[in-house]
Amino acid sequence: MTSAVARTGVGRSPDRLISLLLLPVALIALGPILRLLAEGLGYGEGLTFAHVGEVMGRNSTRIALWHSLVTAGGGTVISVLIGAAFAFVVALTDIRAKAALVFCLMIPMMIPPQITALAWMQMMGPSSVLLKTLGIAPPMGSPQPLRSAGGIALLLGIQHAAIVFLTLRAGLRMIPADLVEAARMSGARGWRVWGRIVLPLSLPSLAAGAAMTFVTALGNFGIPAMLGIPARYSTLPTLIYQRLTGMGPSVLPEVAVLALLIGAVAIAGVLLSRLMLSRRSLGLVGLSGRPLALALGSARIWVEAGLWAFIFLILVLPLLALLATSLVPAYGVPLTFGSATFDAWNEVLLRQPVTRRAYANSLLLAGLASVILMAVALPLAWVMSRRPTIWTRAVDTLVDLPYALPGVVLAIACILAFMRIPFTGITLYGTLWIILIAYLARFLVVMLRPVQAAIGQLDPAMEEAAASAGARLGRRLWRIVLPLAAPSAAAGAILVFLTAVNELTVSALLWSSGTETLGVVIFNLEDSGETVMASALAMSIVVLVIALMGCVQIGAARLPKGVVPWQN
Amino acid sequence: MAELIFSGVSKRFEGTTALNDIDARIGSGEFVALLGPSGCGKTTLLRLAAGFEAPTGGEIRLGQRVLASATAFVPPEDRNIGIVFQSYALWPHMTVAGNVAFPLEVRGISGAERARRVAEALELTGLSAYGARFPAQLSGGQRQRVALARCLVAEPGAVLLDEPLANLDLALRASMQEAFAAFHRRTGATMLYVTHDQTEALALADRVAVMREGRIRQFDAPETLYARPRDCFVAGFVGDGAVIGCRAVGPLTRAGLVVEALGQRIEARGDDPAPTHLCLRPEDVVPDPDGPLTARVSAVRYIGGRFRLVLETEAETIVTVSPQRAAMGELLRLRIRHPWAFRDPDAPVRPWAELCDA
Repeated sequence: MTSAVARTGVGRSPDRLISLLLLPVALIALGPILRLLAEGLGYGEGLTFAHVGEVMGRNSTRIALWHSLVTAGGGTVISVLIGAAFAFVVALTDIRAKAALVFCLMIPMMIPPQITALAWMQMMGPSSVLLKTLGIAPPMGSPQPLRSAGGIALLLGIQHAAIVFLTLRAGLRMIPADLVEAARMSGARGWRVWGRIVLPLSLPSLAAGAAMTFVTALGNFGIPAMLGIPARYSTLPTLIYQRLTGMGPSVLPEVAVLALLIGAVAIAGVLLSRLMLSRRSLGLVGLSGRPLALALGSARIWVEAGLWAFIFLILVLPLLALLATSLVPAYGVPLTFGSATFDAWNEVLLRQPVTRRAYANSLLLAGLASVILMAVALPLAWVMSRRPTIWTRAVDTLVDLPYALPGVVLAIACILAFMRIPFTGITLYGTLWIILIAYLARFLVVMLRPVQAAIGQLDPAMEEAAASAGARLGRRLWRIVLPLAAPSAAAGAILVFLTAVNELTVSALLWSSGTETLGVVIFNLEDSGETVMASALAMSIVVLVIALMGCVQIGAARLPKGVVPWQN
Repeated sequence: MAELIFSGVSKRFEGTTALNDIDARIGSGEFVALLGPSGCGKTTLLRLAAGFEAPTGGEIRLGQRVLASATAFVPPEDRNIGIVFQSYALWPHMTVAGNVAFPLEVRGISGAERARRVAEALELTGLSAYGARFPAQLSGGQRQRVALARCLVAEPGAVLLDEPLANLDLALRASMQEAFAAFHRRTGATMLYVTHDQTEALALADRVAVMREGRIRQFDAPETLYARPRDCFVAGFVGDGAVIGCRAVGPLTRAGLVVEALGQRIEARGDDPAPTHLCLRPEDVVPDPDGPLTARVSAVRYIGGRFRLVLETEAETIVTVSPQRAAMGELLRLRIRHPWAFRDPDAPVRPWAELCDA
């Protein structure tokens, strides 16, 4: 009763001032998307479906849409197979070292997709340094097997398996252990318990995870760009990229339609996922304190070995191949103790102005985005939790949109909105600031959710006690709410930083000379044949990403539930 | 310390009435308990006094100062009222001394003055040795005392306590009750104490307001509530015993009146000429071999030193205590000794004169 009472608190003026924060948040997060919608419907020329009809009528559009659906669909199937297998084993059985296993399964998702593609190409194909060194490389001139629809789907599947895993594991944890115990008391055992009780109860979670994976795979740019563009296999995001980089802003109305198309497919996926998630809570009232833990007995060691071998295959081996390539003096030369050199590392980290500038840009953008979002998310989460109105609820629902929509959609939306800022002559296109604004819109929700989790778990009496002690709103936020939400805010900031450093899709469309980001430079280096330097740069980013993830993991035990995405 | 006055206070939440026309005056330095079942509005009344909610109607004053009315609303941070929460609401990132110093810090008191007052508050609550600890390192009772010290350090006009003992075990609860009483004697603070535990309320408070469904049913000293309840709810909620129907069969005198109940004529205490109910405390029902009433024992429970017996008469269930165990189903003879007769405001009025005519 206390919390219900607290929610209908007394409106006072400082509270209302904080509510004003909703306006710029809504404007930055949603303004560009609305602008995009307007463009697709013939903004400036009256409402028309002419663009839509024209673009949709083209063969290239239909082929790209088909390719997108095929690769994203295939990737989703692979993600479901991997993610579900891991989720069932981790959530239901007594295998050891679960935390380490989960952490390793998360790494592919946190590594930029173009690095995944680069690493896998270094593991397969005729010019693989690793295979050459081992003497098992296919003959020169044989095709790179990954440059195909199957290759794209495979890597998309590996990259996003963690989404299925996380959604399904969360669902499995909601199944009370006594349901399984009741089944066993009725005489069911082993596979029958799994097939008749666990699987049906976890199907909505699985479906929700699959839908989210499909949406994410659909928006993936890095993998189809690295694998598909050289093979002339275009998906919607790469088609948009090629049009825009080839023809310039004159094709904006056209690519806006493409962006809306991919956005529409994505939103359908998101809605499906939400529907599934809302269904899974039906009938599963009452959390059981004890999670399921089926004893595997003597099979345990084999299951563990299998899982770790799989992690080795999808994570360690590609990264070893990437590392090997980054250490050779020239592409194609086998790696030996004698030929290994750090020249490429030295070059990308210390000498090349483009890569150094990209590092500076990416770190600056990621740093600014985390700091600004931290400052915004705290009062925003407070207002949403303590003074909810119809407006806070609307913003709460809609901030998901810029993150859920594919990056190309947001990028096109930002170009349209900030090409000429309304009512001024200023353009942000071609500057770092347009990338920053796009990042702010896209990653707000990454920052907001952990802070919301922290404030939601904060006893409102903490603040009421401070109010009774005489502290006004500003002091209460500063002295009580901020210190208590700080660990979660820090975790959120690191996640934003990680995601921003990894980001390619948005910046691939928004960069210009001088504002390259790391993602763009890796892509460009590989594109121009500088595979060794690309590998060295990629490897340095992998090290940075794993180090940042490690920081979050170390702090995870002290953070509230729901802050670290891979620990729920 | 000052008087806390509620006049005509009501509070509605989205259509449901939580408080209905509350009038109460808590004297300066008085210890008042709000007692009632959950959902009776006692916590809402406390939150109105603290300023976490605004009343829908009526006025709340602290001394001469209007805290809330139709035209004015003083936010909690300006009320100078201290509150101790059920959850204690200690700030986990500050030490005990930091928690206690916070109200002084907010008021701009620093240096030696702050240190002196913090030390004083810690000493008063027996926490002098714990100033450098964090709340997580304290036991439940110690946390409770930190919350108390924190709300007193700023010398508030009144202190509100929201079920402060609900999270403590039985033994600790008893010793904290003593601590509250001693504390109240030493500081002379005006205290408003919310509880659903009648033993706590009767043991601690100068006066108890019994609440039900958003109204104060009776606001009296504990012994008055026990001996002279004003309605069936209070008679049943406070203390042990039975409430049974009765009707007057004689005029009201200074000694009381004669009523008819349990098929007997009983001399009862009372101040209403037309009582509707009798409050039969266990001590009003005396086992007596020559008593006029017969009842069958239906339950026996040992309550330390004596036995609590539930007895079935022809029409009613009553309760007594006896030094001897009784067998189930045993027939006992009883006599009723001066119970309290009252007129329940919700019962239909049947004056004695009317009964005589019938």
